[in-house]
Amino acid sequence: MSYLSSIIASIRVGWSRDFGWTNPFLGFSLKTIAPIASTMTAVTVLYIGFRNGTSIASGQFPMLLGFILIGATLYAHISAYSWVPTLAIAEGKWTFVFPQVYVSPKSSPPYLAGRCLAAFASSTVTSVASLAVAIALSSLLFGVAIPLVITPLSISLFGVALVVNILASMGLGFLLGAYAIFASKFEWALPTYVSGLLMVFSEALFPVSLLPHPFSDIGNVLPFTEFIRASRAVLLPLGSVSSYFYYLALSFVGGSTLLAIGLLAFRYAERRARRLGVLDRKVV
Amino acid sequence: MNPRASLWLKTVYARTWVRTKSIYGEPIWVAVNVGFPFFTSLALSLLYSSAGLKAGIGFAFLGGVMVSFWGNVLWSMASQFNWDKQQGLFELYVTSPAPISAILIGMSLGGILGTAPSAMTLAIIGWLLFAPPATPLWPLVALTFALTLASLYAMGMALSSLYLVYGREADSVNEALHEPVSFLSGVYFPSSLAFPAALQAVVLIIPLAVGMDALQRTLFSLNSTGATDLTPVYRDLLLLAIMGITLLFAASKALKILEEKGRRAGTIAVRQK
Repeated sequence: MSYLSSIIASIRVGWSRDFGWTNPFLGFSLKTIAPIASTMTAVTVLYIGFRNGTSIASGQFPMLLGFILIGATLYAHISAYSWVPTLAIAEGKWTFVFPQVYVSPKSSPPYLAGRCLAAFASSTVTSVASLAVAIALSSLLFGVAIPLVITPLSISLFGVALVVNILASMGLGFLLGAYAIFASKFEWALPTYVSGLLMVFSEALFPVSLLPHPFSDIGNVLPFTEFIRASRAVLLPLGSVSSYFYYLALSFVGGSTLLAIGLLAFRYAERRARRLGVLDRKVV
Repeated sequence: MNPRASLWLKTVYARTWVRTKSIYGEPIWVAVNVGFPFFTSLALSLLYSSAGLKAGIGFAFLGGVMVSFWGNVLWSMASQFNWDKQQGLFELYVTSPAPISAILIGMSLGGILGTAPSAMTLAIIGWLLFAPPATPLWPLVALTFALTLASLYAMGMALSSLYLVYGREADSVNEALHEPVSFLSGVYFPSSLAFPAALQAVVLIIPLAVGMDALQRTLFSLNSTGATDLTPVYRDLLLLAIMGITLLFAASKALKILEEKGRRAGTIAVRQK
């Protein structure tokens, strides 16, 4: 029970950090603008490829637009919260918050999990809002109706997929956090690298089968890829509920594995950092 | 030499040196800075490629190169004085005889020199991996590139004076500005092929948009003949020159006003949390 209260307290810390400086509406708006823009960049590239390239037939374009809208938005969602534990550690060292966490009874994993969940909740709202705006803007700019399946069932199943993906994102967060404990510089760089890698390997913008072996195999086993596939399976007309559950199960298994690895790595890093006395080493 | 001019030049040199040294003294920064623009360019290149538009790959990598500079303008120019203020460095700037405008110019030159290796690395990797078809008009490319950077960094200077009055908001504003400005500027695609004419006209107030348009026109051609209409390029160059001068003037004016106001109110070095 006390772990739960620590997590809830950390969720409040996360929200306060993200929105405490302004009113919630402005805070959410500012956080929504960036994913809209990055999604629009991807769909505009597709549009230019469709108009000037040779590979996309007119009938395929609306479906591909839906494919990329969902992929790019969910990629932005994953990037927005999977690196929050790293940020919480790096920023916490600067602001002396992180050493304080260690003198509290529950130590850091509940704190980082809470920060990650806070970011997940706000990112879910901003991602859904940015998907809606990006759909409207794409229809307006490119003059096509995007074939999305928006029913209570598809939205509920999409919501379940979002929740299942927390496992993988939190696992990645703890893995990066294990590095951030020791980092004295460039701790901001690793998450951006991983984020960039995910853009290529998570099937956000194109099928991973386009990548040469063994890169396509790497993309195929990532839980993030399965999460995006599951979401597409319920939100696009060509998908099916059976394929949704197949991808969701893979995402769950992959996410649970990544979370277990992340927690083990973080625990090892934390113990080692305590022994070496670097937990409160300020980043320079 | 006039002592004021000498002091100004020495300050520019000192600030340039510090910033350049911070990058070249730690070469891993090059690899660090290449990361995100590289993967974005790679992903968008594969998207262009899957659409059967190999010519588009050049736009994706040119975008990655320019995003490196745009990121540097936002995070290492616009936010810099704010961070310096939080760390107590800004107090030293204002109490020293060093002119603030010289510090800003030094920061810009150092930023350009520091970002150049990672931008060049990205361009070389893109070239080696994909060899995108290009029809460069090198003298115009060089002039456009120089004017684009000049006006971008002048914008960074103007923003740095504005951000000085902000606290934690500065980072959130930066995060909110980075992607939308990149999208509206057509960093990864030619906006003339995607945006309606009205939107194309509106985005011409963004130096990055004007620079990207000119760079894309002088480096790549989407038509089969490879011929480039230079009229829009000359228009862009003129716009960039005007923007650069105006923003430089605005930056210097805004800094003076804020400095004066801060000194009077006693808030110039007050750290905001």
